[in-house]
Amino acid sequence: MSSRTLPRLLQTPAVIMLLIWMLIPLGMTLYFSFIRYVLNSLRRPEWTTPSFTNWRGFGNYEFVMNSKDFLFAIQNSLFIVGSILFLTVILGVLIAVLINKAFPGQGLVRVMLISPFFIMPAVNAVLWINMILDPVLGLNGLAVEGINNIIASMHDAPLVGWFFSLWPKIDPISFRATQTSAYAVIIMVTWQWTPFAVLIFMTSLQSEDEQQKEAAILDGAGKWSQFRFLTLPHLGRPIAIVVMIQAIFHLSLYAEIEIVSRGNGNKNLPYLIGEFANNNIGAASATGIFAVILANIIAIFLLRMVGKTLME
Amino acid sequence: MGRIVLENVVKRFDETEVIPPLDLTIEEGEFAVFVGPSGCGKSTLLRLIAGLEDATAGRVLIDGEDVTEVSPSKRGLAMVFQSYALYPHMTVRKNIAFPMRMAGMSEAEQNERITAAAKSLNLTDYLDRKPGQLSGGQRQRVAIGRAIVREPEAFLFDEPLSNLDAALRVGMRLEISEMHKRLQTTMIYVTHDQVEAMTMADKIVVLQAGVIEQVGSPLELYKTPRNVFVAGFIGSPKMNLLSGVEAAEYDADTIGIRPEHIDISMKSKKGSWEGTVGVAEHLGSDTFIHIHGIPGCDPMTVRAGGDIEVKHGDKIYLSPQAEHIHKFSEDGLRIP
Ligand SMILES: Nc1ncnc2c1ncn2[C@@H]1O[C@H](COP(=O)(O)OP(=O)(O)O)[C@@H](O)[C@H]1O
Ligand SMILES: [Mg+2]
Repeated sequence: MSSRTLPRLLQTPAVIMLLIWMLIPLGMTLYFSFIRYVLNSLRRPEWTTPSFTNWRGFGNYEFVMNSKDFLFAIQNSLFIVGSILFLTVILGVLIAVLINKAFPGQGLVRVMLISPFFIMPAVNAVLWINMILDPVLGLNGLAVEGINNIIASMHDAPLVGWFFSLWPKIDPISFRATQTSAYAVIIMVTWQWTPFAVLIFMTSLQSEDEQQKEAAILDGAGKWSQFRFLTLPHLGRPIAIVVMIQAIFHLSLYAEIEIVSRGNGNKNLPYLIGEFANNNIGAASATGIFAVILANIIAIFLLRMVGKTLME
Repeated sequence: MGRIVLENVVKRFDETEVIPPLDLTIEEGEFAVFVGPSGCGKSTLLRLIAGLEDATAGRVLIDGEDVTEVSPSKRGLAMVFQSYALYPHMTVRKNIAFPMRMAGMSEAEQNERITAAAKSLNLTDYLDRKPGQLSGGQRQRVAIGRAIVREPEAFLFDEPLSNLDAALRVGMRLEISEMHKRLQTTMIYVTHDQVEAMTMADKIVVLQAGVIEQVGSPLELYKTPRNVFVAGFIGSPKMNLLSGVEAAEYDADTIGIRPEHIDISMKSKKGSWEGTVGVAEHLGSDTFIHIHGIPGCDPMTVRAGGDIEVKHGDKIYLSPQAEHIHKFSEDGLRIP
């Protein structure tokens, strides 16, 4: 046995496991996406069992592409993921820089900051949509009502009363509506994932070189220049990592979308798969393949970007 | 331009007093070296001058102007750090340009100064590299370049050569000395290496536990060390210090004799010390012989000519040159 055979042999079970893990679901999805396969059909009962005799070619793909929500779902996926990335990175950097300075109670603040990350996505969604964003019972409704009451009480004030009586009553925003449900998802996921970004950025900030900062101070760099020219480039790598991990994660958001509006005005590819899977497994599988392709495009794009930062 | 005066400067970190009240003047254009063992407060003193640390009490004056409350960037000083402190994400060119960019200098002027600095520091071929792609010596040159282009009132160096290997250190030492001769700018240089201090300084400031033990030119310190600490610290190999009977003969508590001021012979002479050779280090030009068996000083080091033939176990007789014996009293101070 050559020196490389034994290690190869020992690796084989793991590699085979991984292949099975990946290839079987992928193979089955591919298979289903090319046949007619539904869970329930009175008219064509033969379609309810998967079989090559029900071959449909690219028919499922065509069906999915022509369905009215497909393009919207892709666009909406990108919108949601992009917005969450943008917000978590900016908030993450700001918070990490703020709490990196020593202050009393620092340990406690850090633990509390991380805590949203340990809440289950579904619970997070239920809490946000019912207790915070709800236009009647939530903080949203209460705050708007409070403002309205204050303005109303000013109507009778001497001298300035007429000015306030010109103000309209504000209506709270409903976050379950078609136009706003995506924002609700973005807000709650941002809240949940900002701690992750903070955690990673904070660790990175702690490894920042103090002498570089001192050199910059002597070179005449103010606080902003130090942040712009030293801290931000130093954070380049962790930012790339945060972006990459989150992009992959948030492409498969589901619970939040379901709980906020049951997909009303707010779908992404996983949600579309879920809808098709109520009956049409063939179309659901074809959508799944589209999702795989989209994820791969984004992953390759991100890997390039991260790879470039890692090289430097 | 570039006369730095410390008046009664004190530095405390919480309760520990690192620098007790201290007065010091560094003249314009002088190359001053702060030397002392590790942890004696050299860096702290330098950082006080730079403004990176606030003085607990006392005043710092640059060209007669009180800068104690002035921010570091406004003091007109440039500093070179032991760890180089280059900006890792910027090219060499951008690193050197950084202070000028912060000062809002014109692009043309920046380029002119970068070109000049790069030429004098042999960095022209490396301007587009990142610090990570340079050797230690090159990195230190970039750090020096970044300091030069600011045309500061004074340069501050904090152990700039400590991270370099021995051969490179000797080369860079010369380069910095030459730079000083050329620019005629005040330089303050911190090191724990007395050889660097002796070879580079116009004025050496010997520190111990934050206290100035002696200030003077290299030869002053070599010829008339003010106390036992300076005597033992300056000079290589170290001065031999003897106490007890040998010292009492000279009416002193401690006497010191440098290795190069001891005559040796293989035969007994009047007033000579008898010992046996421990190790003989043959350097070619010199031989350093470490001798055991002399009361009050073990081993005693002697510098002899390069072609002397001695080996381990040989009997040897030493006679100190009387005019070069340093005498110290009980409190460690020099007896004139
Ligand atoms: N920021 C600080 N906080 C507390 N003690 C410090 C601080 N900086 C330096 N010291 C102490 O001051 C003393 C002198 O330090 P330093 O000036 O760095 O010595 P040197 O440069 O001569 O080796 C040391 O004992 C060190 O522990
Ligand atoms: Mg130091």
